[in-house]
Amino acid sequence: MPPLKILIVDDVAANAKFAEAVVRHLGHVPLLAGNGEQALARFDADTPDLVLMDVMMPVMDGIAATAEIRRRPREREKWTPILLLSALGEVGDIVRGLEAGADDYIVKPVSVPLLAAKIGSFARLIGMQEQVRGYTRELEEWRAEAKRQASLGAHVMGRLINPEALRDAAVHHFNIPAETFSGDLICAARTPDDVLHLLLADATGHGLPAALSAIPLAHAFYGMTEKGFPLASIAKEMNAKLKAFLPADRFVAATLVALDINEQSIEVWNGGNPAALLLDVGGGVVQEWPSIHPPLGILPPALFSERTETIAYQEDCALLLCSDGLVEAEDTEGRRLDRAEWLAALSPAGPRLGLERLHARINAHIAGTETQDDISCILARVPTERRQAPRLGAAEAGREKAREVSEWRLELSYGATELRYLDVVPAALGLLCQVQALQPHQGALFLIVSELFNNALDHGLLGLDSTLKGTDGGFEQYLKSREAGLARLAGGRIDLRFRLHLSDGGPALDIAVADTGAGFDYAPYLKGDGNPLDPGQAHGRGIALVRKLCASVAYTGRGNAVAVRYLV
Amino acid sequence: MQITTRSADTTFTLALQGRFDFHSHREFRESYQAALDSGATREIEIDFRGVDYLDSSALGMLLLLREKADALGKQVTLAHMHGMVKQVLDVANFGKLFNMKG
Repeated sequence: MPPLKILIVDDVAANAKFAEAVVRHLGHVPLLAGNGEQALARFDADTPDLVLMDVMMPVMDGIAATAEIRRRPREREKWTPILLLSALGEVGDIVRGLEAGADDYIVKPVSVPLLAAKIGSFARLIGMQEQVRGYTRELEEWRAEAKRQASLGAHVMGRLINPEALRDAAVHHFNIPAETFSGDLICAARTPDDVLHLLLADATGHGLPAALSAIPLAHAFYGMTEKGFPLASIAKEMNAKLKAFLPADRFVAATLVALDINEQSIEVWNGGNPAALLLDVGGGVVQEWPSIHPPLGILPPALFSERTETIAYQEDCALLLCSDGLVEAEDTEGRRLDRAEWLAALSPAGPRLGLERLHARINAHIAGTETQDDISCILARVPTERRQAPRLGAAEAGREKAREVSEWRLELSYGATELRYLDVVPAALGLLCQVQALQPHQGALFLIVSELFNNALDHGLLGLDSTLKGTDGGFEQYLKSREAGLARLAGGRIDLRFRLHLSDGGPALDIAVADTGAGFDYAPYLKGDGNPLDPGQAHGRGIALVRKLCASVAYTGRGNAVAVRYLV
Repeated sequence: MQITTRSADTTFTLALQGRFDFHSHREFRESYQAALDSGATREIEIDFRGVDYLDSSALGMLLLLREKADALGKQVTLAHMHGMVKQVLDVANFGKLFNMKG
């Protein structure tokens, strides 16, 4: 322990000298003052650790000086013990001194061992006080650091959640964080061909650790959705990313959804979250997607299953996703809401389901409790009416004309083995959209290429019958046959050729797709004005849409080769 | 949470009692370390009979144990789950990661 600065206040020089000698002998540093007023000046200037204060002094006595010291602002941060030195006959003074804020007293004449022992005892107290002050300071620094980290986490999560994309008219959501900010991640985005992708992810822990695992998830979700990758590929990528850098005890429960209004289908991957629910307009459960996978970030890529479950819907309905915080939310008595109760809170008073009422119901339920876990919900409306026109990017709507183009060509060719696992369309689009002139047309090109490629694969190579899709339960059967056909596909090939050049009508992209399949009778599909919204028509819509977007569409041979021209 | 351990032949059992959550971290780690260290042990059984609550950090601890046991060629079995504990393990599909026993 370092030596203490001890302020000795006495008007009698002999007494002061005596005390000074004792202080020096004990290895401490003496400071001297001749009366109360001087004592205050030295107290302020030299910040002593301990004060030895005589009572009877001229100008200002020890009691007044003690009271003044106790009023000093720095007393609030650091306590300075005051030891009164007083004659035996002055019991009243001692009491007044202690009341004024002194801590102890010694009766004069002062005995050396007693003074030494008292200084030793105060030195121990001061040491303990220093230690406590040290802990407090450290704790304050930790708390400030934790706050900084929390606000960093909140900032990152705020950016990831991307409220812009969640403003999608079809999507409602709420989040009740357990701490200052949530560990749940809610994302929504649309693919170039207008499929709505949703993600509700619940990471272990809160704060910065949760944000840490949310970063790669959001990155993969937005990046791959924008490029039009299918749900299964996104789930696979997310899992691989998390597995690669999270320790074994960290994982993320997640529900991924692809909502395709044009196909009228809903595809779900659920690993570790409560069941996703499809609700009819009255709030009744039509379909459930329980968790059939472990959460993301646990299984190595070789064991991971990206298997999704898809259904077709015929009626207007709504899809509800939630984190386990909703299921496990307890009121002050530890009671949970059962599913019937919170579904009842969703049920319509008016024409549609209201997430606001569920939000209010949950808030009322957990009122007065300390929220244990983040609670998140997404409600997405699933309408039966198809969109009037494909939603294309701003540049496409304005048809910004490309400046100069020189000729650019790309040829891709895929055999059975690669067709089984590659996401051909997003990969091809990735190459196309590196060309500046084509970038603003990503949406339209995605629609065209995916339509032509899917026709070549589904009908050309796999021989699937698209009239199946229109029948009851046919869509699911179609998907099953497609999956099975793809798994045993042994031969065949699909060629894609792209040529960007300056045509008579300006810059144009010619796209040709050919397959080795049997072809089909294309003539009926090329009749009329090609209205893609012909009601009741569950197939052939794709070709009509392509005709609408392209300057020309021509099938050749037995219907296994098609060439279109798109004006850039 | 209380943990009692017993060992018979090649099976080392950790019987848990109470709430298995974030606060159980040190006890759980200390208890399974003995099982990992024991050369005779081939199977580590976690007995959930006395557990009525488990949170996601408990799931994390089980995954950590599984990783360490794997590296030593030992198996982890989860046994006697009921009620909410069974529910949570089912939703997380831990049956695909661990041996499960009634």
